[in-house]
Amino acid sequence: MLYVPQEFISMYLPAIYAGLIIGFIGTMAIAMKREEIHILILTDIVGLAMIFVVSAVGTDLAEALILPGLVVELAETLAISEILITREMRKIEQDPRANLKRSSSLFPQAFSLDMEIMTTAPNFIALILIAYGIFLTGFTGGAVAGGGIVLYALSKKARGLPVLVLDGIAGVSGIAWCLWIIGFLLFFVTPQYWLLSLFLAACGLLLKVASKVGLIGLLMREDIDKE
Amino acid sequence: MDFVTLGGDLLGTIPLGDIVLYINPFNLFLFAVLLGFTFLIAISKPETQVEASKFNTLGVAEVKVDEKEFRQRRFLSIICGIASAGAMITGDLFNFTLFMALVGILNIGIVSAVKQTSVLNSAFNYGLIAMMCSLPLFGGAAIILASTGTLSLAVLSQMPASPMVVFGAILMLIGILGESGVAPFFASKAEMFRTPGSPFIVIIHLSSLFIIVRAVEILLLVLW
Repeated sequence: MLYVPQEFISMYLPAIYAGLIIGFIGTMAIAMKREEIHILILTDIVGLAMIFVVSAVGTDLAEALILPGLVVELAETLAISEILITREMRKIEQDPRANLKRSSSLFPQAFSLDMEIMTTAPNFIALILIAYGIFLTGFTGGAVAGGGIVLYALSKKARGLPVLVLDGIAGVSGIAWCLWIIGFLLFFVTPQYWLLSLFLAACGLLLKVASKVGLIGLLMREDIDKE
Repeated sequence: MDFVTLGGDLLGTIPLGDIVLYINPFNLFLFAVLLGFTFLIAISKPETQVEASKFNTLGVAEVKVDEKEFRQRRFLSIICGIASAGAMITGDLFNFTLFMALVGILNIGIVSAVKQTSVLNSAFNYGLIAMMCSLPLFGGAAIILASTGTLSLAVLSQMPASPMVVFGAILMLIGILGESGVAPFFASKAEMFRTPGSPFIVIIHLSSLFIIVRAVEILLLVLW
């Protein structure tokens, strides 16, 4: 019989309670919300609570059960969002003017703020985030710098981004990919230059993740503001 | 309850490592019927349907569904039939829940390309219920695993039910009710059938019927 510490065994019941309570809170929120996209996101929270309860078992068998659970959850989310998109397309087909009436907003509730800090601060914060991301390098740095780019892209209200910018970011992403591959290759071929290859890979990964996150943010803003 | 008293004499077992598939006349019959129906679907030609709500105008309107959509729908129906047949024969508690979730996803997929927005609306709502009910479904199975240490139905049927197992079984029952779209969640699922494409749509109905029968057997096995 394998020895399992008492602390791990005593964690099981709190974990199950936490999962069930999260699920309950999620369903309560679904009952209160009326916007369909928010209901979809909240439903995902209930699905994540399922992962909570399954992973609370904590054996290697439970580890094998989490993966199919996650896959099923993902497939259901994809299927439902596909249904939602198809329905909206059919609605627009039947009444082409219906989607022109109101513009969609990122925020759950309509609100308008007119303060100077809302326009000046994001630039500064984005700059700091990008600088800090470059300082960090690697995957984390890329995510931080990408977050800065996304913040900048979301805060700027100017619409109609030039194609050159989008292409440029995509190009930087491609070059970064090459840097990463070269760094990895050098690491195996000439192990004595490990520092150089490490820096190549780290900088490549930084640029890659940053440009990717930035690109997602830019495209998202383009999609949302499109009329 | 022992599975011999529920489903008749044991015809044989297929030991796949930890999971032991047991075959008795009850499971075999359900499995064979579903496979036969799936075969019928696979060879059937799509047929057009008469829109019933337009009878009163005397102009009988046929609702056509184009070829591509029918092919996709037939493919998903066949997969749905195979998944429910797998749920009939499986000897593993978690596999049953996975097959069940798969059937739920495929049910949504079969109606995903229809033109009626009301059908899409009810499919969306059914999908939300199915997703919310995956918490009690998988959670119940996980609780049963945690309190007994096994997922094999052949072993579970020999064990006495502890309070934790009863709790897990009740959670699983809630999950099965939601995932297969029976009462009290039936409103959206019933509306999903109101679309042309007769031979394929009916698998939505049939798969949930069969899965409910099998779920009753599994709950009896675990609880008694």
